[in-house]
Amino acid sequence: MREQSEAVNPPRALWVPFPLGRPLGAADDPDFQKDVMRSALAMLDTASEPTIQDYPIEAPPVAGPGVWACPLNLPVAEATSHTGRLLAEVARLKPWSLETRNQRGRTLFGATGAQPDQVEAVAAALGSIADTGDLQSTPGDIEWAFEMPILIRHLADDLRTFYHEAVAAQPGSTAPNHEALSDWIFGETALGDVLQTINGHLTAADDFIMTLVSGFLIPEAHHGNDDGGHWSSSTH
Amino acid sequence: MVRLSDLDPAEEAHLQARADAMSPVESAPWVTPRPLYESTVAIVSTAGLHRRTDPPFQAGAVDYRIVPGDVEWGDLVLSHISTNFDRSAFQQDPNISFPLERLHEMANDGEIGGVSNWHYSFMGAQPNHAALRDTGEEVGRLLAADGVDVALLIPV
Repeated sequence: MREQSEAVNPPRALWVPFPLGRPLGAADDPDFQKDVMRSALAMLDTASEPTIQDYPIEAPPVAGPGVWACPLNLPVAEATSHTGRLLAEVARLKPWSLETRNQRGRTLFGATGAQPDQVEAVAAALGSIADTGDLQSTPGDIEWAFEMPILIRHLADDLRTFYHEAVAAQPGSTAPNHEALSDWIFGETALGDVLQTINGHLTAADDFIMTLVSGFLIPEAHHGNDDGGHWSSSTH
Repeated sequence: MVRLSDLDPAEEAHLQARADAMSPVESAPWVTPRPLYESTVAIVSTAGLHRRTDPPFQAGAVDYRIVPGDVEWGDLVLSHISTNFDRSAFQQDPNISFPLERLHEMANDGEIGGVSNWHYSFMGAQPNHAALRDTGEEVGRLLAADGVDVALLIPV
């Protein structure tokens, strides 16, 4: 954000009009990325005092809400527990997620300390927290990289990574943007229900740390919307 | 960076309040590096990325992780605390915020002198950027010792 950059007062800064998480503008577009980098590096020659310069080109469009839709009908099960519904959903998504991993030869899953093949264990851990409301006990028997309750936030991230990777391989997928992915996860999936339920547990705990974790668990646009929010990007 | 007005209103208000709470940073001494085609370039990221074998960033962390210049993409994960930025683009193409392959291409084409042996990663979303002074200066010394002329600081 320009507002943050102005406060930090860097010697040379290139302001870019791209969404958060995409500082070079376009994935898999080396020419676009290098143009942004060249613009920033050129300021080494042109700037003679602290300068914030605008990058004039918008990023290529990425499919947003209303343009992209997941072809799968989720949640897939009427199980009585959050854990049951989440595991059924993960099973439905798994072939697609594995396909993306194979295509890319990598995955971002595993920041929790889980191994890439422990998706079900991560889902069971998160589901059990939703089902029991236990925000203190360490779930499952994985050697997690985080302690409770901050572990909750990273369990959520690992599963969101798994869901994003599942979407990426589906036929007709056009790389949805952050808003479309968040609308889908928080509006149409068992994972979204699990996260909103856990958020309710965190809020009810009325504790500083639990409130902090709540703030990091769900995007601002989906906070307090247990029906998933459906914030529309029509304002964009 | 992004336009605040492009964000969901709740997120816009949150980030505006964070910006308003920031205290100004004094200007650093002005340095003009050697020509770019002779300069060694390093990336300093605030995306909270690190190798899978590294300890992850904890909430409020002001420490950093080192990333070797020949890192394999599959070795990298993100443990940034913020949930408000798009990770799917990094999943698709890590160069979107850590353009290591682009730097190597620019070095091969003679646009830059070279690519640093080491790059550095912090976690952004810092409520108190003054707390980063010690580790920031430490990374500055490491970059200088590595012969780096230009640091490309890439927020996420």
